[in-house]
Amino acid sequence: MGYYILTYLCLAVFITAVGRLMYRHLTIPVHLRWEIYPVQGEPADKVSYGGSYMEEMNWWEKKRKSSRVNEIFYMAPEILLMRGLWKENKRLWQMSFPLHLGLYLMLATFLLLSISSVSTLCGFAEDGGIMIVNGLSVATGWIGLIAGVIGSTGMLYKRLADRELRDYSTFADYFNIVFILIFFLCAFVAASTVDPLFNASRDYVLGLFSAGRAVPAYVPGRSLPGALTIILASLLTAYIPLTHLSHMFMKFFLYHRVKWDDTPNRPGSPIETAVKKNLEYRPTWKARHVDTDGKLSWREIASSAPKEMK
Amino acid sequence: MKKPLKPSDISKKSDCLCRIEEGELAPLPPPYEDFNQNIPTPLKAEKTGNIETSLDNTVAIGIPRPASKEEEEALIKQFLSGLQKLFEKENNWTFLQPLLLSLEHCARCQTCSEACPVFEMSGRQEIYRPIFRSEVLRRIYKKYIKPGGKLTAKFTGDIDLNWEAIARLAELSYRCTLCRRCASVCPIGVDNGLIAREIRKLFSQEMGIAPKELHDMGTIQHLKTGSSTGMTAAAAKDSVEFIQEEMEEITGYEVEIPWDVEGADILLIHNAGEILSWPENVGAFAIIFQAAGLSWTLSSETAGYDVVNYGIWYDDVQLSRVAVRHADIARRLKVKKIVIGECGHAHKALTVIADRLLTGDLNIPRESAMVTLENIVMSGKLKFDPQKNDFPVTLHDPCNVVRSMGIVEPQRRILKKLAPRFREMTPHGVDNYCCGGGSGFAIMSRYNFAEWRNLVSSRKKFLQILKAFENESPETPKYVCAPCSNCKGTIRDIIHYYRAEERSRLYYGGLVELTVNALAGMKKPIINFGDKPSWE
Repeated sequence: MGYYILTYLCLAVFITAVGRLMYRHLTIPVHLRWEIYPVQGEPADKVSYGGSYMEEMNWWEKKRKSSRVNEIFYMAPEILLMRGLWKENKRLWQMSFPLHLGLYLMLATFLLLSISSVSTLCGFAEDGGIMIVNGLSVATGWIGLIAGVIGSTGMLYKRLADRELRDYSTFADYFNIVFILIFFLCAFVAASTVDPLFNASRDYVLGLFSAGRAVPAYVPGRSLPGALTIILASLLTAYIPLTHLSHMFMKFFLYHRVKWDDTPNRPGSPIETAVKKNLEYRPTWKARHVDTDGKLSWREIASSAPKEMK
Repeated sequence: MKKPLKPSDISKKSDCLCRIEEGELAPLPPPYEDFNQNIPTPLKAEKTGNIETSLDNTVAIGIPRPASKEEEEALIKQFLSGLQKLFEKENNWTFLQPLLLSLEHCARCQTCSEACPVFEMSGRQEIYRPIFRSEVLRRIYKKYIKPGGKLTAKFTGDIDLNWEAIARLAELSYRCTLCRRCASVCPIGVDNGLIAREIRKLFSQEMGIAPKELHDMGTIQHLKTGSSTGMTAAAAKDSVEFIQEEMEEITGYEVEIPWDVEGADILLIHNAGEILSWPENVGAFAIIFQAAGLSWTLSSETAGYDVVNYGIWYDDVQLSRVAVRHADIARRLKVKKIVIGECGHAHKALTVIADRLLTGDLNIPRESAMVTLENIVMSGKLKFDPQKNDFPVTLHDPCNVVRSMGIVEPQRRILKKLAPRFREMTPHGVDNYCCGGGSGFAIMSRYNFAEWRNLVSSRKKFLQILKAFENESPETPKYVCAPCSNCKGTIRDIIHYYRAEERSRLYYGGLVELTVNALAGMKKPIINFGDKPSWE
């Protein structure tokens, strides 16, 4: 039961940490615009060369055209294939891509195992559909493990061997990559030696969904590599959102809330309401030209003269 | 072989952390090889006195060294107080989210380094790497601002905070042109340009430390006298009156430059530097606006005749003040829109950044002059003769207009129609390289900074220009079209520094000049290569 408790605790840490990060960035004040073109939400003809609605005469009188489809078409290969890194830094992509692919496929494997387990718990017969899901989980599991071992070994090597990467790497960077590598190695050894068809893994996930009561729930600790895999996978899940590795999902904010945020401030819009609220904040900057000791709002300061002029 | 520097070396005690050696800068092609051994002239102690020079023996700000240990400690305290404020919504709602995201999610993959022209052209000096200054700030933030940071510093990257680190970080924030090429290639979306600007802001808004050209003689002078050039409204009107007379001489018909016309459709605001240094630009706008029958006006209100907003480079408070002043002038004139002249940073400041500062009746629509010009040229109302522009032309893309605003094609459509020998630089559009004068560098020239700019930050642009014209004979006059005052100033300095007018017959100018040069029915050309302008 201790393994299940550890996994539950780690999942709770993951959900809390991700929730905290999301909440922070969803409730943070609307910032000044700082987009970079091409903005993928523009219509396709503009995206092709990086144009914006501001190329149009009297654009504010026209209905704004934007395209979520373009964003999705851009983001899908960006997330799944790391297109940006491929384009700009191919040498790093060769190792970073398998590492990320390994992590994505581990997540996919967990989801497939979850589908299978939930089906079992619901009493569905092991028909063709479940067989396909189980088969897929074996494929994603093995490909993910192999990619993960290659990618994390390669990334560790690159961080150590490449002077430019090494000089900017901190102990935490090495710790992260070694942590991921050890997880992949343990999982690979476990799969190779005791669980090649991921049946024990499926049982463990079933146990997670049933708090260890479902039969045939896997009894963790049956093998050392299996036990280590469960411990490391649980800890890694908790650890990722606490570090810069959270860029895997925080990229959403970096792209959608900054790089591609070109939403104009139209009169009466939610942006204008947010800006009005922001302008009521009272800054406490100390330089002579701003120094107001928190007594004046941004709105008042913006319409006042700096002290140097008085 | 130099020992590569690491971010933690920023606090190392030494006279000069990084010195560019002869031959280290990226090589220039013939006939400019004689500049390949040039480096910024080392500053002599008697010239710099008590000014901090220990970053790279170049000075952008000129920060005096603290006189005592107590003063040093007070400065460190002030710095940390400012750093704390960068992470508070009351003080930094303006960029809090972008800053947090960029500081917390960098994977230090170095993809940004290859995109940075300063780093590349400097011969890959470690301190100019986009991530170097960001990593210094990141480590200081984690160690000194985040709870428990001193305990976890060995894990997350240790750094010592002393006067050297602070002064060098301040100077280092002025070795980036904020072109944001690094941000555009970052697979995660981290923006090292933004971090450089946040560092500048901390120093300006908390410690009152900023280059004189940007603050005292920049935003303060702008708000006080009406222009960062120091030109008063009366002087601006006098100069424009002179321009008006000269334009009549060129066009052969009466040009009327309207001032303070209430209810006009357009308030046109130029960078006042045009009035002083490139009067033909101001005149050309007047000619074409009048010929197209637009309802427009200039403003003689304080700051109403100078669209610059240097706050965009270093200070959100000053940025807000200038933007509000511009918008308020337009509001009181009851114009339908503001058209921003050929000034890149003003495009971004007033149109994009100020968009989330201006509310209610201050939110006057703003438009780029390139869009207005394109509409005039393509409308068919005016007749043009492209053969008048029968000389090689290339286009410099101002970063603030293309990468930061997405205005890419209007200027190209004009050139494709009116300049038969137009060719692109490589790369161009949103992938362009900065002129090297971005983020205020164009107007900063104290100590040896102008020389550093010409040799390092502008070098990539110079190479690009030479490449664009490589198939032309050295005797053929060539036109670099730079629709931005600061870019124009920088390109003027490049041409002068490398003696490129004599060696390659390189000339430069704006977009409206080319447009008006092709206008049918003009008595004289507005563009003159090397000769005196036709109005002199």
